[in-house]
Amino acid sequence: MGIINEIITRRNLIRELVLKNLKIRYSKSLLGFLWAFLSPFLIVLIFYVVFSLILNVKTREAPFVLYLMSGVFSWRFFQDSLISSTTSLIDNKNLIRESSFPHYLIPLSIVLSNMIDFLSSLIILLIVSLFVLQGLPYFVLFLPIVLVIHLGICTGLSIIFSILYVKWRDIKHILEAVLLLLFYLTPAFYSLYLVKASFSSLLFRVYLYNPFVGVLNLYRSSILKGFYKAIQSEVGIVPLLFMPLGFAIVVLLLAFYFYRKNKDNINDYLSY
Amino acid sequence: MITYPTEAGTENMQIKAIELEVIDKKYPLAKNQGRNMDINFEDFWALKGISFEVSQGQILGIIGRNGAGKTTLLNIIAGTLAPTQGKVLVKGKVLGLFNLGVGFQDELTGRENIFLNGAILGASREEITDKLDSIIEFSELGGFINMPLGSYSQGMRLRLGFSIVINLDFDILAIDEVLAVGDALFQSKCFERLMDFRRSGKTLIVTTQDMGLIERLCDKVVLLDHGHLSYSGQPPEGIDRYRTLLNTEKFFVGPVQKSAKLIENTKKWADNTSEWGKELGTREVIIDSVKFTNKFGWRSSRIRSGEPLKIKVRFSVRNSVKEPHFGIAIFRSDGVYCYGPNTAFDGYNIPELKPGRGYFILNFHKFLLAPGEYRLSVAIWDKNETLAFDYHDGCYKLAVNGKNKARIELLNIPFKFYPRDYIGFTVEHKCEPDLSGLNDKWGRKTGTEESRIGSVKFLNRLGGESSVFTTGEPITLAVNFNGLIRGNKNCYLWLGVYREDGIYCQGIVRKLNNKSRFFKILFPKLFLLPGGYRVSLGVWDNKKQEFIMCHHAAYQFRMVFNKEDHGTVYLEHRWKYKLPSMP
Repeated sequence: MGIINEIITRRNLIRELVLKNLKIRYSKSLLGFLWAFLSPFLIVLIFYVVFSLILNVKTREAPFVLYLMSGVFSWRFFQDSLISSTTSLIDNKNLIRESSFPHYLIPLSIVLSNMIDFLSSLIILLIVSLFVLQGLPYFVLFLPIVLVIHLGICTGLSIIFSILYVKWRDIKHILEAVLLLLFYLTPAFYSLYLVKASFSSLLFRVYLYNPFVGVLNLYRSSILKGFYKAIQSEVGIVPLLFMPLGFAIVVLLLAFYFYRKNKDNINDYLSY
Repeated sequence: MITYPTEAGTENMQIKAIELEVIDKKYPLAKNQGRNMDINFEDFWALKGISFEVSQGQILGIIGRNGAGKTTLLNIIAGTLAPTQGKVLVKGKVLGLFNLGVGFQDELTGRENIFLNGAILGASREEITDKLDSIIEFSELGGFINMPLGSYSQGMRLRLGFSIVINLDFDILAIDEVLAVGDALFQSKCFERLMDFRRSGKTLIVTTQDMGLIERLCDKVVLLDHGHLSYSGQPPEGIDRYRTLLNTEKFFVGPVQKSAKLIENTKKWADNTSEWGKELGTREVIIDSVKFTNKFGWRSSRIRSGEPLKIKVRFSVRNSVKEPHFGIAIFRSDGVYCYGPNTAFDGYNIPELKPGRGYFILNFHKFLLAPGEYRLSVAIWDKNETLAFDYHDGCYKLAVNGKNKARIELLNIPFKFYPRDYIGFTVEHKCEPDLSGLNDKWGRKTGTEESRIGSVKFLNRLGGESSVFTTGEPITLAVNFNGLIRGNKNCYLWLGVYREDGIYCQGIVRKLNNKSRFFKILFPKLFLLPGGYRVSLGVWDNKKQEFIMCHHAAYQFRMVFNKEDHGTVYLEHRWKYKLPSMP
């Protein structure tokens, strides 16, 4: 696997790029890295006010705040990675044009630096969950695997979209719309049972096979005690685990194939 | 057959570091970039069929005009761009130093940028940490190293970028036109370091517009012209060809003449009067002001014919240039080239102009041009007169006053007339023969029997007859009338000197009397420049307003000179200059 070799030999560059992203993101603001926690919590607060206090949404699977936090945090990681990666090759053309390092390191570094933000909020979520639900599920041991699957999906899609954007600038606007749609198709702030109640059983099965639904269910199963028990009867192992895993592998393979095909002419387009 | 290993060894002495085989590079002029559909979308071939090789330890210079493909070629060698077709073989690790600011992040400090840039260039963290001190030291940035890069000047960015690159490990280094940004001290430091690299067997590739640098540094040059390889080989020839290339693209002016023999012909006309008023050149040196001073030392663009003229040109040098020379050309307002002296023709050797301000002065002892309107071009150019640093073509007007403005002659060369002029006899300016009837009638002789002319002879300083003279020699025109001219109360002798191409150089008109059949006209110093000339002789009846007789352009002589000069007339002059000196 040439790609893995390449990533290992360029690990110093990956680290420097991640550091660069984090420094640029936080060095000039007064609260600095604190924003990595603050901004997701602000969003959770808004959602909580809107859906729980005003619309009175109830979730059977877990307490609404925890349910919301796990959904919003992991979604934000995915969405932020994808959106900032998409323009990353153009944003960083200064860096790319000077040297011959593989382009995909740029979106990869962005996904990784977003993951650092995500990890810190995930730790808080774990602590909150531990206290509120008085314990963690055994599945917490699988959390690293869940993270790797999620990281794979994010990285793969980021690489694909960053290369697409170099040649096709409209993709950014399309992506924003699609992400919004996907967000509503993912049970971030509503219960799975709500979907089951309003969809036909076939449509519900299709819904469950959405890999993003699977990822979210994986997170919740490994963080929220009692969550897996609540959905066990509805969600089988295939849509829960194999669907996201398979999706991650396919997306990654596609991304590197796509990169191989395009790497020679990316720099040509960067000059414009 | 026995093969000797030593022979094979010499073959391989020069290990190829870079080999390019028929490289083509096409840039996609993408159709979906923006919507200006009226632009003709065609692929742009930045490079076409480039092949050359560079041996290990060589310094290669890539030269060519802007947009010739230098940077693209450099990028292909460095591996940042892939060729559309062709094969690139590069041995070893290549580092590139391209545009300033590339590879840097303005938000990070200099120190943080060293780590980022080093990582981009493929160094490990340990290697960068090891070399951090020497990088910072070489960059001379001092306390600035902890400031965000956004606060750096271009020169500081260059110093940082250069310091990082040269302190890392590489086999081939590609540097793109960036060295010029550094100050002289840093440049010489870089220069030394580059020479060290060469000695240690590393291969360098540079692109620059600084031909001096190419000449000092490079073992080999590659000249690109619109994406094609125009020359590959020795630097001096490559540079010459580049200058010729600039010349053919109308950058400038003038032929490349080189011979110290007797010059037989000089330039007679302006290249193109429609270009007058234009300023051309590379602007490495800039002409700031041009001032004319008359014999009283007053500033004036109006002088009297035959009086001294001083032209003072102030200039400022932006980039140092090698072997420049100064030139001033004088044209009549209709484009006739009068004179174009320059310091190269006059044997002044100016090795270099350094940045700063300076001036040069051209003193004409006697401005021998006839009254009229003139235009001056002022130029500072390179030694071959092919590349103008600054060239103000016909930008300056000069008016020459004199006794008679109506005359159409070009020159006012002093002469003596025998029998001697005396008061009351020199009324020549009251009469002006109408020469318009003579157009295109070269060699035509008209006239009555009684005014037949025996001969016009050209005599040299020893009194011998000759038809070839050197510029500045004394010449006597001996005119001999066979018969007396009758009814000559209103008759005038007219003698006209023409240039071979029909330009009326000088006319002499004297009243005839009954007594003389012989006239002599002595030019103590005939300052006509090389070329063929013709003399006309006529007798003008001022009353009838016609020529009684005329031998138009019937007598020929040639001028030669041992020195190169431009124009029609040599005007005695002297140059003075003060070159800028470094503070």
